[in-house]
Amino acid sequence: MSYSSNDADQDFIAAAMPAFISEAVEQTEAIETLLLELEEQPDNRELLDSLFRCAHTVKGSAGIFGLNKVVEFTHHVETLLDQMREGAIEFGPALSTLLLQCNDQIKFLVATASDEAADTPEQKDIRADLVIQLCALTEGPTRGDAIASSDASANAEASTVSGSTRWTISARFGPETFRNGMDPLSIARYLAGMGQVVSMHSSIDAVPSLVNLEPETCYLSFRMELDSAASREEVEGAFSFVMDDCELNVIAPETPGQKLAREIEELPETPRLGDLLVSVGAVTQDRLEQVLSTQQQSRGMPATPKTLLGDLLETQAGVAPEVVEAALGKQQKLRETGSGEEGRYIRVQADRLDAVINLLGELVIAGAGATLLARETHDVGLIEANLHMNSLIEEIRNGTLGLRMVPVGETFSRFRRVVRDTAASLGKEVNFEIVGGEAELDKSMVEKIADPLMHLVRNSLDHGLESPQERLAAGKSASGKLILSARHETGCILIRIEDDGRGINRERVLQRAWNRGLVEQGVVPSDDAINMLIFEPGFSTAEQVTNLSGRGVGMDVVRRNIEALRGSLKLSSHPGQGLQVDIRLPLTLAIIDGFLVGVGKSKFVLPLESVVEVIEAGGQNVRVDATGRHCLELRGAVLPVVRLRTLYSVESSLPERVSVVVVSSPRGQYGIEVEVLLGQQQTVIKPLGRLFKTLRGISGSSILGSGEVALILDVGSLGELVTADNVGSTSVASVATA
Amino acid sequence: MNKPFELPAELTIYGAVETRDAMLAWVAERSAQSGRTLEVSARAVTEMDGSGLQLLAALSNMDLSWRVVDASSAFTEACHTMGLAEWLESH
Repeated sequence: MSYSSNDADQDFIAAAMPAFISEAVEQTEAIETLLLELEEQPDNRELLDSLFRCAHTVKGSAGIFGLNKVVEFTHHVETLLDQMREGAIEFGPALSTLLLQCNDQIKFLVATASDEAADTPEQKDIRADLVIQLCALTEGPTRGDAIASSDASANAEASTVSGSTRWTISARFGPETFRNGMDPLSIARYLAGMGQVVSMHSSIDAVPSLVNLEPETCYLSFRMELDSAASREEVEGAFSFVMDDCELNVIAPETPGQKLAREIEELPETPRLGDLLVSVGAVTQDRLEQVLSTQQQSRGMPATPKTLLGDLLETQAGVAPEVVEAALGKQQKLRETGSGEEGRYIRVQADRLDAVINLLGELVIAGAGATLLARETHDVGLIEANLHMNSLIEEIRNGTLGLRMVPVGETFSRFRRVVRDTAASLGKEVNFEIVGGEAELDKSMVEKIADPLMHLVRNSLDHGLESPQERLAAGKSASGKLILSARHETGCILIRIEDDGRGINRERVLQRAWNRGLVEQGVVPSDDAINMLIFEPGFSTAEQVTNLSGRGVGMDVVRRNIEALRGSLKLSSHPGQGLQVDIRLPLTLAIIDGFLVGVGKSKFVLPLESVVEVIEAGGQNVRVDATGRHCLELRGAVLPVVRLRTLYSVESSLPERVSVVVVSSPRGQYGIEVEVLLGQQQTVIKPLGRLFKTLRGISGSSILGSGEVALILDVGSLGELVTADNVGSTSVASVATA
Repeated sequence: MNKPFELPAELTIYGAVETRDAMLAWVAERSAQSGRTLEVSARAVTEMDGSGLQLLAALSNMDLSWRVVDASSAFTEACHTMGLAEWLESH
């Protein structure tokens, strides 16, 4: 173990690099999201602050890893953001575009951090160009010529007074300042060059008398008030060479309201609004009590809506709105963090989590096996112990699966940028809305769904939404609407992409399908079937092949990808009014709550959440067609029923009485005729082999506690089978199970 | 015998130790004589830094009265910059 400390450092950096990269990627994603949000609410100070923090974090951690390019470039971005925070520069669409481009560049630099060769001359050009634009903004017109020197020679003449702030700078210099070749006097001169010195006071109390003085040791400190347009960073920059042993305090001016707001922010936990305000002296206790009693009275009156204390304090006690706002913000923060503790996260490698989940799957199976054995012993104590253990296993299962769940909104917000840029390049105007981004989905699903979704979104933009002229001509508003929404629906998640564009032109789709031989010439399928043709391989209707959405490859890939996730796709097209694409996905790929049924000796599992009820029905007398379909009357309505025995050619004698499990599917309710009901069971899904890919109605298999194999029924595709007009005989293979 | 103390042309860190020693010797000599206000001449000062100012600050922190005479422009500028302009008028 003869590491030199340098080696150890290198090792440490190499080991920590992936964590840095993933953090930086998150930060840049956050920057993008924030920028896009800021476009909608340009006055939102909090967004701007978060934006600055993100850029600052990237710069800071890149510095630790010695990624000078990232630091250098991000520094310019940070400077600009800082000036925006100070109100010196106004946020607008052009600025947003510039910042988005800069963010792309940061992303690129981070991604290629360890690969020098990736930084091509083109990228360098782009970067230099961006830096020039950034500098032009941050340094103002007076310093346009000084752009080339990117060092901190920021001795700007006191530029326009309009954007100037009064900084209070106090500095206590370290004893080594002189010996390090630094001089407080020149720093003071430098600061004075940045603006107008309002007051300057040197403290010489700390200087010992001449007798005791060590002339080369620095004892100086000063306090300066400076009117300057310079940013905090520029002011602090003056001290950059003495920073290490200098106590520096740069304070921006505060209005009395801001001061109170800051004091509220600095308060320890005091969760009541009134108390918060009293404790900083924004309102007196007496006044507060008066206002509280007013609120109490108004609460009794039925006609008036409940008045908020904050509003009352503003109107009656004359508390400044910004103070109330700060107090409310603090209160909210305390509520969110519960005990006031910050939410903490641990990063876990995905494959470790997967390993745990796999083991858990085995545990569920083993647990089921143990329960089965326990039941056979008829030992009450043993059975009870087993039940308890199983309920614990279930809790662990839910908890562990919960670890993998991430809000789908993270993926959605990535699309904002895509929509913005795509719409801009197509010359279309789009209002993009995201609804229900907080719905959670398994992480692996989220990753896999991103690409197909992206494709569908682009498709809507490219083919669905019309240009502003066309829209106006069709009597719609000039800007189109695109809504991406997610919500939970019985055991699955529904992701919907909705636009108010021209919808699917069925005639053209059909014409093309005929031309391409996808549908036999002259045959006219149902409307839905025509819509679905756009997902056929080798289909594209765009007259103009764009580089955005497709050359006819893609839509079929979209469908394949979604089906590979056990999901389904549904189109509802309203010609001239818009298109709605529904994607239904299971919440997780690993484990489901199953309902175990038996047909002959075979076992099948139904997803429990799709089961509505179970009814009894007479078996032998019912006539069924070749695929086992027949109908039942259920409370006055006709219920299509599929007989699994016939559908999958299970060999054994049909019992007298059978049960029909009523399930709900996207196509409506239908029944599945089975012979034995075996109850609820946690089911670990094992995918079917390639051989069974074409098998319809079955989504996977599972091993039961007894070691038997059960097939998991796919309620959705089985439902299509049941309700379809004619069933192709090739689509259903006969299955013999153990 | 009331000759003021002549500050060097370069009142900087490079000569800080010597200047301090010379000043200390001078102070000891003068204050032994009488309680009169000591005078420090800054007419020769062309270059000055924080350590120079600090020397004068150390002088201020002794229990005696002193004042600056003949302040050069470099000296005046330095005092103004550091907010120590009162040395130029009073004492």
